[in-house]
Amino acid sequence: MKNVLVAGGGLGGTIVANRIAQRLSNEIENGEASVTVLDKSDRHFYQPGFLLVAMGAMEPQDTHISERTVLDKRVKLVTGDNGTITKIDADNRSLQTADGKSHKYDHLVLSTGSHLQFDEIPGFAQGADTFFNLEKAKEMWTKVQSFQAGKIVVDTAMLPHKCPVAPLEITLMLDDYYRKKGIRDKVQIDYCYPTPTVFGIPNVAKMMTKIFGERGINIHTQFTLASVDGGAKKITSKEGETLDYDMLVSVPPHKGAQVIGDSGLGDRRNWVSTDKFSLLVKGHDDIHAMGDTTDIAISKAGSTADYESYVVSHNVAADITGSGGKKNYPGSVFCFIATGMDQATYIKFDYNHPPVPPTPSQIYWWSKLAYNKLYWSVHARTMI
Amino acid sequence: MSELKIYKTIDATSENCAGPIGELAGAMNDAYVGEGVTIILGDEATRDDVLVWASRTGNEIVGNTSEGDRFTLVLRKVK
Repeated sequence: MKNVLVAGGGLGGTIVANRIAQRLSNEIENGEASVTVLDKSDRHFYQPGFLLVAMGAMEPQDTHISERTVLDKRVKLVTGDNGTITKIDADNRSLQTADGKSHKYDHLVLSTGSHLQFDEIPGFAQGADTFFNLEKAKEMWTKVQSFQAGKIVVDTAMLPHKCPVAPLEITLMLDDYYRKKGIRDKVQIDYCYPTPTVFGIPNVAKMMTKIFGERGINIHTQFTLASVDGGAKKITSKEGETLDYDMLVSVPPHKGAQVIGDSGLGDRRNWVSTDKFSLLVKGHDDIHAMGDTTDIAISKAGSTADYESYVVSHNVAADITGSGGKKNYPGSVFCFIATGMDQATYIKFDYNHPPVPPTPSQIYWWSKLAYNKLYWSVHARTMI
Repeated sequence: MSELKIYKTIDATSENCAGPIGELAGAMNDAYVGEGVTIILGDEATRDDVLVWASRTGNEIVGNTSEGDRFTLVLRKVK
């Protein structure tokens, strides 16, 4: 019996487990292989939906579902203390869970994700709004609706973070929301970003800088958030710039999962050192990493995990069945970018081909919404 | 002078959303003062951008080499 353990039941862990089960269908049926997902939570959250919740374009209850309902029936699911991983013992090919049990594996897939650090920057937790978890996205939508006049600052505290285009999207959605509400002239919008340009990919930065200029959005590049003073409503950057705000919408710092650090598998931010092509954890031929978990200089996005799942599932199955060669991940990423409340563009790229975002249009907006709608029935269940 | 301890090596030769400077800024944030970060870049213009960023942010360049279309910089965190 070959045991495949998948650490994490988010988007990446769910999709890769389903693909592995599909590829090992015969082996699972014959009792020669098993696939198990371990996660503390029994709920599956579609995190890209939080952006839309924060702007009233998606209902909160549509962003999560029971994990069991989207997992292939051949995949075992362990949650609660039984599924909370407390230590990974790579030398002995085992992991421990909070219920005190040890689980042996032949292949381990790390899909433990990225986690928000609200306390890393002084004052952040008290002074900043965000849409990076569901509860805060709901709170933000309430504030967005009641905001009548003043200055909104959209700030990205630190890179890298999940859903890299989200700061651009929320900025342009806020602009369009207040424009359609007829009060844009009373709302100032400032965009702060910790690099010299508004985004890391030159083609996208160029397009967005132009759009920001046309929409009257003020840009503050090379702004690395140092502190938030919620009482005085001011933020200060490490570079020494101070901005006041009436509403601060910020992306909190991110880290990899604590269990990665506790198991000695990550760097100081708990990102796992991963080969960018094989998606194997460096130094291990039986541990795969994917999605936000890795330290690969690629986008921490759902589509990244989805594309990576084809490679990881193929390679795990190839090892177990002894058939076929291994696949490499070419760096594929696809993301829609909302540029308002009814228009969007997209980026599609890989390691060797930069994206060329098309002119924003309503078609891409509706495609983005359709993708979200289809996530539960098609993508999470790996129907394609 | 003692040998520089490299905290992290970043392969930034490929496209990514944070961009080379975004990845580098994150790593420099996590490095301890006195440690180094190596970044490998895929073109000369990006190398020049990183040199400007290092100068503006007070990070010391202690290595600057190239081989074909790969440019390697080593930065030391000084504050």
